[in-house]
Amino acid sequence: MTDPEIRQVREGIQGKYDRVAAAGPVGSFIYPTGKAGMELQGYPPEVLRDFPPEVLADFCGVGHPFSLGPLNPGDAVLDLGCGAGVDSLVAGRLVGPGGRVAGLDVTPAMIRRARANQARLGLANVTFQVGKAEALPFPDHDFDVVVSNGVFNLTLDKKKALREAHRVLKPGGRLMLADMVLVAALPPDQAGKVENWFQ
Amino acid sequence: MPGKDFLALILQVGFHRAALRRYTGFKSSPYTEGALFYGEKLMAGQTRETIDSQAEPAPAPLEETACAPGGT
Repeated sequence: MTDPEIRQVREGIQGKYDRVAAAGPVGSFIYPTGKAGMELQGYPPEVLRDFPPEVLADFCGVGHPFSLGPLNPGDAVLDLGCGAGVDSLVAGRLVGPGGRVAGLDVTPAMIRRARANQARLGLANVTFQVGKAEALPFPDHDFDVVVSNGVFNLTLDKKKALREAHRVLKPGGRLMLADMVLVAALPPDQAGKVENWFQ
Repeated sequence: MPGKDFLALILQVGFHRAALRRYTGFKSSPYTEGALFYGEKLMAGQTRETIDSQAEPAPAPLEETACAPGGT
């Protein structure tokens, strides 16, 4: 990929998520988002029951990363590419007041939306900040679990981002990712199109 | 095996017990499907453990389409 293409991908992703931050996910994704998306992915009924509708409406993940293993009370969790923070807040509930969750996203407007959702739930053990998966603003061995939901397919340097996730995990820490994989070759007129990154 | 390149990256950066645990059946386009990946960071003095799912194909993706055609 050329430098101009990389710039176009970054700007395209940023633009898409600026729009999502301003108006919510409805209309920006071609798959079910919000509460319907969470139900489809198998999130626990108590989350769907207890979270305010405005928070649930912001879900635009592609899977249920917490189905890969338990989050334990007291765990420190990093949510890579947290978006509007729904998974971070789910994690905040699961780890309890003795745990902590950091949500990180590259789009400042999404972080503002995540903080608004946090205020709706009043969870004090969750923090949100702007940052890139390829250069995590955290020390080595800081987290018990790194989760991510539909973010690595939007990450240009996947290996660097995975290295960073490995660096910030404590020994024995767990990586739990939900994402999309290609299951069929793209048609020739679509293969290699920069727009595929942010349509 | 869809997702094998990404799973290989997880292994390359040092995770053990790395696995593509399952495909979810969730399709965000006709060309993509949801998948769940897992890995663990080695404990001090621990030897990297190879598990079957690193070498064997994951279960085949499901056939049903959960959403309309298009990009991700």
